[in-house]
Amino acid sequence: MLEAFVFATILCGFFGIIFKKNLVMKIISMDIMSTGIIAYYVLVASRDGLFTPIVSNKDNVAYADPVPQAVILTAIVIGFSIQALMLVGVMKLANNNPTLETSAIEENNTP
Amino acid sequence: MTEITIIWLALSFFVGFIIYLLPKLDRYFALAIALVSAAYSVSLFLMRSPLNIQLLDNFGVTLTIDRLSGFFILTNALVTAAVVVYCWQTGKTSYFYMQTIILHGSVNATFICADFISLYVALEVISIASFLLITYPRTDRAIWVGLRYLFVSNTAMLFYLVGAVLVYQAHHSFSYAGLRGSPPEAVALIFLGLLVKGGIFVSGLWLPLTHSESESPVSAMLSGVVVKAGVFPLVRCALLLEEIDPVVRFFGVCTALLGVGYAVFEKDTKRMLAFHTISQLGFVLAAPVVGGFYALTHGLVKSALFLIAGILHSRNFKQLQQQPISNKLWIALVIASFSISGFPLLSGFGAKVLTSKNLLPWQVIGMNLAALGTAVSFAKFIFLPHHKEMEKRDNREIGKKIQPGFWWAMVILLGGLVGANVFYYQAYTLQNTLKPLATIVLGWLAYLLIFKKSVIKLPRAIEQFDHLIGVMSLMLILLFWIVWTRATISI
Repeated sequence: MLEAFVFATILCGFFGIIFKKNLVMKIISMDIMSTGIIAYYVLVASRDGLFTPIVSNKDNVAYADPVPQAVILTAIVIGFSIQALMLVGVMKLANNNPTLETSAIEENNTP
Repeated sequence: MTEITIIWLALSFFVGFIIYLLPKLDRYFALAIALVSAAYSVSLFLMRSPLNIQLLDNFGVTLTIDRLSGFFILTNALVTAAVVVYCWQTGKTSYFYMQTIILHGSVNATFICADFISLYVALEVISIASFLLITYPRTDRAIWVGLRYLFVSNTAMLFYLVGAVLVYQAHHSFSYAGLRGSPPEAVALIFLGLLVKGGIFVSGLWLPLTHSESESPVSAMLSGVVVKAGVFPLVRCALLLEEIDPVVRFFGVCTALLGVGYAVFEKDTKRMLAFHTISQLGFVLAAPVVGGFYALTHGLVKSALFLIAGILHSRNFKQLQQQPISNKLWIALVIASFSISGFPLLSGFGAKVLTSKNLLPWQVIGMNLAALGTAVSFAKFIFLPHHKEMEKRDNREIGKKIQPGFWWAMVILLGGLVGANVFYYQAYTLQNTLKPLATIVLGWLAYLLIFKKSVIKLPRAIEQFDHLIGVMSLMLILLFWIVWTRATISI
């Protein structure tokens, strides 16, 4: 069930990238897609259990797998920096294309 | 060797930041890093057995280094050195050299890593560094081209991440070998990411605009090495797992034909070269065993051609045919074009022969057609008019543009082409020599009789941004179908 929601989020993001006309909306859709993927990693990590894997006096509880979480942390940071970079680019483009309509920008900037 | 590898890998990132702190030494540092990489790759060729490094424990970073990586790293080193030398007197800021070296380091990282997450990180650093290099001129067009590139590659990498976690779920490890026994959707998702990054088949159609609208040193880097970062993992997986091999070869043939089909009709020099890059990546994939040598040859040729195309007085073949170019420039152009069409005495010949020896029977017709197309499309460069002495006015104009750095870059790249012959000197038999020559002659005839006069203009609709993203979903279905049918057959 949760898996279905996660995939729905990813697909929503993907279709948003295709169908939204505004450049900023496209970037937000990409963010939604990456949120879905982060959620999927967390879901995979929690398959075996939900406890945080840190040293404590409890033993024999079902721990969550730390590896996917550690990995997705890297991906979050990278995704965040790419978004920041893209938004800066969009700001520069917005000077000459105030509507940020992708088709218009594309028409102006392809030879 | 383990320590040397790690130090070498970390050095390019470290020096990249140092360059920014010591702007006066930027070019020297950048050149030094390229030379260090070249020395390292030579040491790889002398190594007998492949090196496997496991950092930290089971879940840490794994690296695999062998002769295949050696070829790719050597390509990277030579191209970076040529680009730095080319830019020596052009007044680029130290920011440019910093990005170049960080790009160099991250591309090197993809050539040695052996697990999906290290690969992901390296590929994303490549996207960021090449975005910054593409947008270096800060014009609206450069920013849009860069944004488009970053968008397409980031969306593809998101799919790739899903594939990576599916591999982890199946094996509790991210290593390449885990592709075996993973569900077909994992293979399809990972391949989609790599195909888009590497500019392969229909999902590689972001490449022509990006490579042709960047400045020529940046296009040389992008076409020479950066796309190979996506291709290398595919080659590595094909060599590791025999059930992946036919899939990779299939995409190789399709890509070679698609790229060359566009290149033959293209009227713009840089776009022609970019389409041709797509086709050559197909050659690398068509015979994964010898892909390394082909990638080396192609990297040298393509960056040389992009640098030359940046110096020519026009980008339009029609205009180039009317105004002669200088003899010296023409000779450099012809050496590069001959090598890529597979003329003997240049390493393109050895690479073509080696590839054709390792093709499967069903690939032969497609690859021969692609080779013919290569000869046709480079005849456009070979038959350009040229003069011994240019008119005075031109001499002054072009004299300002061509700097000694350009000729040094040509020495590195074209010298590399002649030097790389030693890797496969067995190719020089009469039988081997006749076939490429026949292909070239046929190609020239076809060019002079048919293609020179053709006015067909292929539509560019598929290169639009929305379509590039949309094609990803189609490719995903195609990949899934291919992998799934193969999986059921093997069961």
